[in-house]
Amino acid sequence: MSAPALSARGLARHYGGVAALRGVDLDLVPGEIRGLIGPNGAGKSTLVDVLSGRAPGSGGSVRLFGQDITGLGPAARRHAGLARSFQRTSIFPALPVGAQLDLAARRVGATDAPRLLDELDLARLAAVPAEQTAYGDQRRLDLALALVGPPRVLLLDEPAAGLTAEESLALADRLRELARARGVTVLLVEHDMEVVFRICERITVLELGAILAEGTPQEIRRHPEVVRAYLGSAAA
Amino acid sequence: MSGAGRIAAGALATAAAGPAIAALVPPGVLLSLLAQACIYAILALSVGVLARQNGMVSFGHAAMFGAGAYLAGIGLGAPGLLPAEAALPLAVLAVAAVCFGLGLIVVRVHGIAFAMLTLALGQACFEAANKARGVTGGADGLTVALPREIFGLPAATFQWAEGMFLIAWLAMVALAALAALLARSRFGLLTEAIRENEERARFLGYGTVLPRAAVFALSGGIAAAGGVLYVLYNGFVSPETVHWSVSGSALIMALLGGTRTVWGPLAGAAVYFLLREQLVEVTERWLGLLGILLVLVMVFLPDGLSGLPRRLRRQRGAEA
Amino acid sequence: MTIQILNGLVYGSLLLVLAAGLALIYGLRRVVNFGHGAFYMLGAYAGYTAAQAGGFWAGLAASAVVLALFGAVLDRLVFRALQDRDPLVTVIVTFGLLLVIEDAVQWIWGTEGRSMDAPALLAGSVALGGDAFPVYRLAVIAMAAGLTAALLAWLHRSRAGLFVRAASLDPAITAVQGVNTDAVAMLVTALGAALAGVSGVIAAPFLSLSPAMGGQILVDCFVVVVVGGLGSLGGAALAALLLGQVQVLGAVLLPDIAALIPFLTMAAVLLWRPTGLAGKRL
Ligand SMILES: Nc1ncnc2c1ncn2[C@@H]1O[C@H](COP(=O)(O)OP(=O)(O)OP(=O)(O)O)[C@@H](O)[C@H]1O
Ligand SMILES: [Mg+2]
Repeated sequence: MSAPALSARGLARHYGGVAALRGVDLDLVPGEIRGLIGPNGAGKSTLVDVLSGRAPGSGGSVRLFGQDITGLGPAARRHAGLARSFQRTSIFPALPVGAQLDLAARRVGATDAPRLLDELDLARLAAVPAEQTAYGDQRRLDLALALVGPPRVLLLDEPAAGLTAEESLALADRLRELARARGVTVLLVEHDMEVVFRICERITVLELGAILAEGTPQEIRRHPEVVRAYLGSAAA
Repeated sequence: MSGAGRIAAGALATAAAGPAIAALVPPGVLLSLLAQACIYAILALSVGVLARQNGMVSFGHAAMFGAGAYLAGIGLGAPGLLPAEAALPLAVLAVAAVCFGLGLIVVRVHGIAFAMLTLALGQACFEAANKARGVTGGADGLTVALPREIFGLPAATFQWAEGMFLIAWLAMVALAALAALLARSRFGLLTEAIRENEERARFLGYGTVLPRAAVFALSGGIAAAGGVLYVLYNGFVSPETVHWSVSGSALIMALLGGTRTVWGPLAGAAVYFLLREQLVEVTERWLGLLGILLVLVMVFLPDGLSGLPRRLRRQRGAEA
Repeated sequence: MTIQILNGLVYGSLLLVLAAGLALIYGLRRVVNFGHGAFYMLGAYAGYTAAQAGGFWAGLAASAVVLALFGAVLDRLVFRALQDRDPLVTVIVTFGLLLVIEDAVQWIWGTEGRSMDAPALLAGSVALGGDAFPVYRLAVIAMAAGLTAALLAWLHRSRAGLFVRAASLDPAITAVQGVNTDAVAMLVTALGAALAGVSGVIAAPFLSLSPAMGGQILVDCFVVVVVGGLGSLGGAALAALLLGQVQVLGAVLLPDIAALIPFLTMAAVLLWRPTGLAGKRL
């Protein structure tokens, strides 16, 4: 059996006295799009931070296709094939959109920057400084910076944050196509249930820093504790 | 024309303007002032490079300027040891090398903390220049006798207003062109990206400390080159040259002109010296007026005077 | 030796009052005031003029009032307007103010040094271990201790002080709680400027007045707040007293390197904890 694309064991992290992650195990099958949901403050961003090397974990290990990357910094993880986007848009405001993507592509020896600009509807903005583009364009640029390469595993922290419901769905469909075409394994943190249920084969539910449930969209929809903790009556 | 071609053409045209200026300006005090202005413009350029590529505001660049001057002075004072032709470039390289090493440490500090750090390190250098009497001559300063010839030019050329003006002008243009080429290179783009968002640059796979330290070294080297010209022209350097008020003046020049463009600090130095000369005639209060101008520019023209054309263009665009 | 230690204590006390003002302003506005030394100098000159008419204490009071007004106007017109910009912009604006104030003082009072008499009550000296020590210098220590105690009491006992502490922890949340943080910031900037002015008057009788006096002490003041931790009065107090000793004792014991120690210490602290500047408890 081949190694999981991304495999975490016993990940923990504390902020002062608050335990944001308490021993999380996670295995992503190569090529899958995994949804990660949970109420506000559940620890979703913290999990992405620890997986991507942004924040040190206080315990546990991370493997990428079998390679132990636990002690590596963000740059080394990107070279190993792990990329991420940010919940709060993280781009280079003063630089032209195209130049940013070139910068990202060059580092990993990628040639797909122009195509990706097209596919994410950013080509017309290539020469425009990112700060002068619309919010939705900036969100897609954040995504493009992570997707160029392509990386082997992609961690997306609420890529649709702040978009309208319609825009979110459009972005989700685009994302599914792009990931499928490139064979990228995706961990998708998303608040919008409709988006997650639409494009994810499996969903992991985080609550209070621990995994509450994991399964297919149908299983998660019916999971009594998930319904109680997160989906509430609205989804029932 | 490509960007690099434009820079080269602009640099050549500006360089050619030097002799014209020297011919037009009556020799004497004004030309001597212009020579000093070019030397300080190089210091302002170095402050601007650091601000533009690394987003760092330095209150301590007089230390690099002074170090270049002292090292060159010491090298020229021991002609048996090194020919002047080697001592002068070595002074610049030594400062750049030290700045690179220092840069590996200091570029981890950002914003106001970096401004204060450079102020502290600069003042430490000022005190060291005062205390190390054996090497620097202490508070009395270091008087430097030039050898008869340097790079085939008679020593008098360097201490004659017209000669130094031309040399400093050409050096200024060459260093600005170098900075401009760097800015539009891949390396320049990378450092700008790190300036804009260091964390994201790391997540794109880039190490961020080395490029920032390299910019710090380049900036230090440019400042040192200014210092070398300073000691050649004045034949003297003292701790006053290293004082933080000199760093402050260079920073004012850079910010007045604006650090968004490479040439902004040069324009700022021109404004600084013109203002000083013009205002001194009518009022002694030029420093206060300079302070007011600095405040107004920072509040209303954050990109400095060199950002003005762009701003106007944009405004016109918005109205159209 | 006792005399040296006392002199160090006197200078440290002066730095403490000055640095307290700097730290207060930083706590609220997240701006390191490069004009703080100029405020100190302006305070000294304003106090000097008032003292010629009404004596030392009138000078002290006048300086506090003038600088408080100055600080309030500065906060209203500059700090508030720039609060959403990069803090560095505000820092550079305060640097510009430094030039303006230094020049204005030269304009009004001229460039020659001036001296100010200690109040008659504190004139003369006392014998300490066989040496004569000016009473006024002992009074400086007492005044600094008194001011610091008053400041701490105000911060920790009064309602306004509570708002100041809250706002320097988190202005946004404090504003949500219904505190007018702009008013608090204006009050604090005024107070910080007044403390600078007062320390200028306190210094005047034992350090002579000159337009350059602000530049010299500013860097020492930075050393104090950086080493002590910006936003921590206790840390600043300790650092101020230590720096006073290093300045005076060091000059005697290690004349060659004493002058370097403060700057190198400050650099080391900034490198060791670059985020240490981020405001903490006041
Ligand atoms: N920098 C920090 N300092 C202190 N506590 C933090 C910090 N970042 C997160 N936390 C806490 O850790 C817990 C997990 O936060 P995290 O941001 O990972 O949640 P999340 O699931 O991403 O929430 P959201 O849906 O709002 O994005 C929360 O209780 C949060 O308050
Ligand atoms: Mg989150």
